[in-house]
Amino acid sequence: MKSIKRTQRVTSIIILLFILGMVVLVLKIIHESSFYMMNSDKLQLGYVYDRKGDVLFDGTGNGSYPDNHFLDVGNIIGDDKGQMENTIVACNLEKLNNYNFSDGLLKKGGKAAIYTTLDHATNRAVFDAYGYMEGCVTAYNYKTGEMLVCASLPSLDVTKGYENINSFEDGTLWSKTLHKTVPGSTQKVSTVISALEIMGSGLLYSKSYTCNGKYINQTGGNIDCHNAYGHGTQNIQQAFENSCNPFFAQLIEDNDLPFERLKKQYEKLGYVLNGAKSKYIDIDGIQCETASTTLENPYEFKTQWGCIGQGDTLVSPIQLMMWESAIANGSGKMTMPYFIDHVTNTRGSVKDKAKTKYSDKIFSESTASAVKQIMLTNGSDKYSYLISGYPVGVKSGTAQVQEGAKENSLLVGFVDDPSFPIAFCILIEDKDSGWITTEYIAQILLDNLKNNI
Amino acid sequence: MNSLNLILCAASIAALDICIFVLIITAYCEKRSSKKNWHELAHDMELAEKDKIYDLGCDEVLIGRHASADIRLPDLSVSRYHAMLTVSNGIWTIKDIGSKSGIFVNGNLIHETVLHENDVIKLGNRRLIFRKRRQERVR
Amino acid sequence: MYANPVAYIFSCIFVIFAHSAMLVNIWFNGNFSEPRDIAILGAAVIILDIAYFVAILFFKQMSYVLDFLLILILNMSVIFQSCFICKFNIKHYITCIVCLAASKCGYMLCKNHKLLQDKKKYIYGGIGILLMLVLFVDLVKHDMWIRIGSFTLQPSEFIKPLFVLACATSIADQQKKHKILCFNVVYENISLFCLMAAICLVQVKSHDYGSLPTFISIYCVGFILRICYPKAKFSKKKLFAVIAVIVVCLLIGLKYAPEYVQHRLHVDIWSDKTGDGYQQSQALIAIANGGWFGVGPGRGFLSNIFAFDNDIVFATVSEEWGLLYALMMVLTIIIITAVPLFNPTRSYYHATMSSCIAAAFIVQMALNIFGSCNLIPFTGVTIPFISSGGSSLLVSGFMTGMLMAGQSPVFRENKASQKNKKQTEAVPAWRWKE
Repeated sequence: MKSIKRTQRVTSIIILLFILGMVVLVLKIIHESSFYMMNSDKLQLGYVYDRKGDVLFDGTGNGSYPDNHFLDVGNIIGDDKGQMENTIVACNLEKLNNYNFSDGLLKKGGKAAIYTTLDHATNRAVFDAYGYMEGCVTAYNYKTGEMLVCASLPSLDVTKGYENINSFEDGTLWSKTLHKTVPGSTQKVSTVISALEIMGSGLLYSKSYTCNGKYINQTGGNIDCHNAYGHGTQNIQQAFENSCNPFFAQLIEDNDLPFERLKKQYEKLGYVLNGAKSKYIDIDGIQCETASTTLENPYEFKTQWGCIGQGDTLVSPIQLMMWESAIANGSGKMTMPYFIDHVTNTRGSVKDKAKTKYSDKIFSESTASAVKQIMLTNGSDKYSYLISGYPVGVKSGTAQVQEGAKENSLLVGFVDDPSFPIAFCILIEDKDSGWITTEYIAQILLDNLKNNI
Repeated sequence: MNSLNLILCAASIAALDICIFVLIITAYCEKRSSKKNWHELAHDMELAEKDKIYDLGCDEVLIGRHASADIRLPDLSVSRYHAMLTVSNGIWTIKDIGSKSGIFVNGNLIHETVLHENDVIKLGNRRLIFRKRRQERVR
Repeated sequence: MYANPVAYIFSCIFVIFAHSAMLVNIWFNGNFSEPRDIAILGAAVIILDIAYFVAILFFKQMSYVLDFLLILILNMSVIFQSCFICKFNIKHYITCIVCLAASKCGYMLCKNHKLLQDKKKYIYGGIGILLMLVLFVDLVKHDMWIRIGSFTLQPSEFIKPLFVLACATSIADQQKKHKILCFNVVYENISLFCLMAAICLVQVKSHDYGSLPTFISIYCVGFILRICYPKAKFSKKKLFAVIAVIVVCLLIGLKYAPEYVQHRLHVDIWSDKTGDGYQQSQALIAIANGGWFGVGPGRGFLSNIFAFDNDIVFATVSEEWGLLYALMMVLTIIIITAVPLFNPTRSYYHATMSSCIAAAFIVQMALNIFGSCNLIPFTGVTIPFISSGGSSLLVSGFMTGMLMAGQSPVFRENKASQKNKKQTEAVPAWRWKE
């Protein structure tokens, strides 16, 4: 009767709720099972390949490879030993594991693999070119976002284990491309972008300031130029080519460059200002630090020095490279880099095919084309002999680290060729300790990329 | 995990499935038989009005005007919750649960009484007869 | 009374068939060191099946489907528990036999509600004694269990069926309203609420937060069914008011919960894999390791982890027998609670009882399964029938007996109260002509 039906209704509601919960549970388990499995101590890892099928990481541990075969990619590809956490393997262990819920953990014959976009041959050539010197190189295709080269020295061969971990040099276990460093004059690219974005190219080109080798700013700070005799009166193009510090200090002080808008533009570019909480750029699970600087007062030494590329300013090479893509594309949008082209599951079918993604617009198209022109002119004026055979737009930089004890050499740039769209950033640490230059590395990088892809 | 294991696992799951299925069918068979049993327990009685027959399906049957009553008599002279029929030992009892017009069984105003076959129950203006259930094919 | 002989014979055959399929699986797939152990296990299971089928012939019931379901799930659990330790689990086997006996006791006790309603004060007394016992054990031993030999009893478990009975027996007196000042008060509601509050307080006092939700769910179902009685319709206002009160109580409870409860609510098991999240993370890894069809009986790694046979038993079964089999096991328990839906009970008393039991079983199962799989905070409750543990099985059996009583009820008043009633002879004055 009706009253009994009511009790039945209560029972059925309870049962239905429970069944609903079970359905959610089962779906959750199936969806997250590979994550659970990753946390167990039983893993059956597959391979990581480069873009041509060369092995970059062997999870099975069965293959034999030449000595130091993995040395050049050691600290970006990483391994599953837990010593390095910010690497492709450590961040994507789940995808590399030969497990799925229906087949279970495959002891052998699993085809789980990660196919990266890196080019091992070029990476190796660039790595070897450094010799005993240290630094890092990163290069990618600014049209698609494929990371082609990502080398950082010193590095390690992961197959050799970590027994003598205490004797490892500083910076062995992390890729320098992901970590912030002093950008030196390459920072002037950002400052030019900001100035163009705020003032427009007409106004900026009409500005000219005089450099006498030294500039005393409005609060009495001393801005030195690397040319002690001064560059004389210059416009923006000349100042950019000369990398003239007094010019940029005066530009920051100029009333036509409102300071609030400058700060806004810096934030748009991705800078974290004045000690705010730092952020990360996520590249296939790998965290790349974003730039940071101090902008407090346009008339103070610290702020001006920050816009010139010293002081508190720190930028990671990957981010420097990404800005080049926004310039080279002419769209003002950065192409987001990726390492993983696709992964295969245990049965070998392709999934998670990478797609090209762009950032939000960080500056206008007209700014992009103006900066591109400035950089290309710089490239053709100063680098056409040093980096021959490619129409490059570049900016070099020298960064003082360890309070001026050492100088790092940087070079950021792009190739303005639709069939060879490469943006790159090269860092050589303690440049005076050896003979190699950033241009030399750039030449090797571009030649190898041209031949290999 | 080899294929033999898989087949055996699947087989035991299938066996359990079939078993559960059979038990559900058994439950449905019992539904019919327990209905028969119930009618035996309740002495196979029913309430009848002029053109309507009310089944007495559980041990407490509520009669009233309210839509939620087990036996609904949509008549203003019947209270919302008028009377309750209960059974024990196969004997049906009618009980007033606070009605306004009272219950008349065979013309006598009562509060609680045992019902016999062919008793006439008057609730307000409605008259119901308490009688033996008739076989459906007779009707 | 044996109305469906064909269906019953088929049920017997298929229950044995299901158990045999499991045994065959163990024979070929299992990790038993000696074939003799499997033979013992098989013989024990099949003999118990047959013995129970014979035994239920002596009980004149209208419905036997619950008996079949009970023996099916209990012997499944014997097989599971034996596989966990890779030899015949005699202790669990004996507990299961006790559970079967308890189910018959429950049936005999509850089939006639008129009888129980007169003895209501004994139920309240029983709950009172058990509550005292819980408090006593907690004060003396700082523990929730009473150990007798290798068997452990948890007194708070036994409150569950008594509380269900208290909810169900108070139904009939729901209409007796008493006026105190200007309020219409039903004594039964107040006493039941006090009982509920007392149980909650004692549970909180003895730090047994796991069974609190079970009691609360029993009370909620009982209360929802009571407030509408005898009106066969939900009063929406009352319903919403009740839900609002429950939500507010829960929120207040969570806010002022002790620190270690709060901690449990927020623990991230994957960042604390070796500490508080150990059991849950291992359980989830085990389920993932088992996949759909499992790694084979006795071959799981989870049986090395604490509480593998009760708190995370779902994961252990799932690893060894596969997720599909674990789900079928859950389905079997759901069907036990859902039998009153196939075959409606004949009285509101039994219907209330069935709903309360369904709530108790399902809430326990939900707490266990969802808790061990990290959907909700982890509590140490057991899955009825499957988990090892004397009191849990005993009580589950008793409560199944109560469900059986709902399927085969007896409506008979005891003689004492029958005599008290005045038998008014109704004289037929006139006949209503058709």
